[in-house]
Amino acid sequence: MARKKREEGEIEANLLPVMNIMFLLIPALLMAMEFASMASINVSPPKFSSQPSEPKPEDEKKEKPLNLKVFIMEDGYRVSADGQQEGAEAGKAADSKAPTIPLAKAGSPLTDYDRYDYKALEAKAKEYKSLFPTEQIVTISAEAKIPMQALIYTMDALTGSTCKLGKVQKGEGIPEDCYFWQPVVEGGAG
Amino acid sequence: MTPDEAAFLAKKKEKAAVRRAKPEDKGVLGLTSLMDIVSIIVVYLLKSYASDPVIISPTAGQKIPLSTADSSIQDGIPIFVTQRGITFGDKKVVAMTAEGDIEDSAVTNHLIGPLFDAMAEEVDKAKTLGENIGKPWEGRAILVGDQDLKFSVLVDVMYTAGRAEFSQYSFCIIRKG
Repeated sequence: MARKKREEGEIEANLLPVMNIMFLLIPALLMAMEFASMASINVSPPKFSSQPSEPKPEDEKKEKPLNLKVFIMEDGYRVSADGQQEGAEAGKAADSKAPTIPLAKAGSPLTDYDRYDYKALEAKAKEYKSLFPTEQIVTISAEAKIPMQALIYTMDALTGSTCKLGKVQKGEGIPEDCYFWQPVVEGGAG
Repeated sequence: MTPDEAAFLAKKKEKAAVRRAKPEDKGVLGLTSLMDIVSIIVVYLLKSYASDPVIISPTAGQKIPLSTADSSIQDGIPIFVTQRGITFGDKKVVAMTAEGDIEDSAVTNHLIGPLFDAMAEEVDKAKTLGENIGKPWEGRAILVGDQDLKFSVLVDVMYTAGRAEFSQYSFCIIRKG
């Protein structure tokens, strides 16, 4: 008995509802799209201790902290470690307010963010890091008119231009090219 | 009219009549290629979807500083500080002078009054919410500043945030390169 062959017709999927959803998704995703990749720099406020705690025997064994401070002035950087300014006379904290690292572009306006010698500052940070490998904190202060971009570039230079902390997993050590990556922003005169 | 011409016209009319009598084909719109394009666009947009816990939408005219830092933005409350004013919780709380300083009437000993009030209110809400969901409030402020923002203004904002019980700060930046 011959079986009647049923002719199979070509079934076309109705794409219109899918297209409708797709077209609605496009503006929704465009709204939430990240046009510029944002990131953040974690900054610590200055710590004040009202009650000085008694030194523990463990603390005594620890090496003396570096206490690195960078003050951004209109005419350059003043760098000091453990209260002693770089280039100042021994015993004197400051050397007639002269910058330790002068401007890379002297005479340029404050809005020129490349006026500071970031490379020299990074080299200085590298130098300090080699002497104090466990140190990671730097206190940054600036004169009132210093723009935020100059402050951020200074933090970048102190952290290290090749430092990538975002890729460091929990439990992993900090890469060697990261110098002082915990900035403490301090107001007032430096 | 010559007989040839008459025959030609008759033939033309006949052809036209046949063409008219023919049923029209139903036009089918090819959606497959369009679907391909749209699918690719949707996948690309999904890939570029901002996955940060906080979506930072800079205010008009704001130039967020550039940096080589690559740490992702952690959850916190954003404070937008521009040369025009300070915006907190979608509300402009403080206006700036033409020189980019905070108006004298708004600051007392580094404390920005209107910003402190708005922050204190938000902190109360966040704390209550944290208690209800059993998650302690971290107190992180994300400072979304401007490239030209003066350091003195930044310090005042940080001081005010500190007084409003914010203990952690992050500077929002745009990744360079």
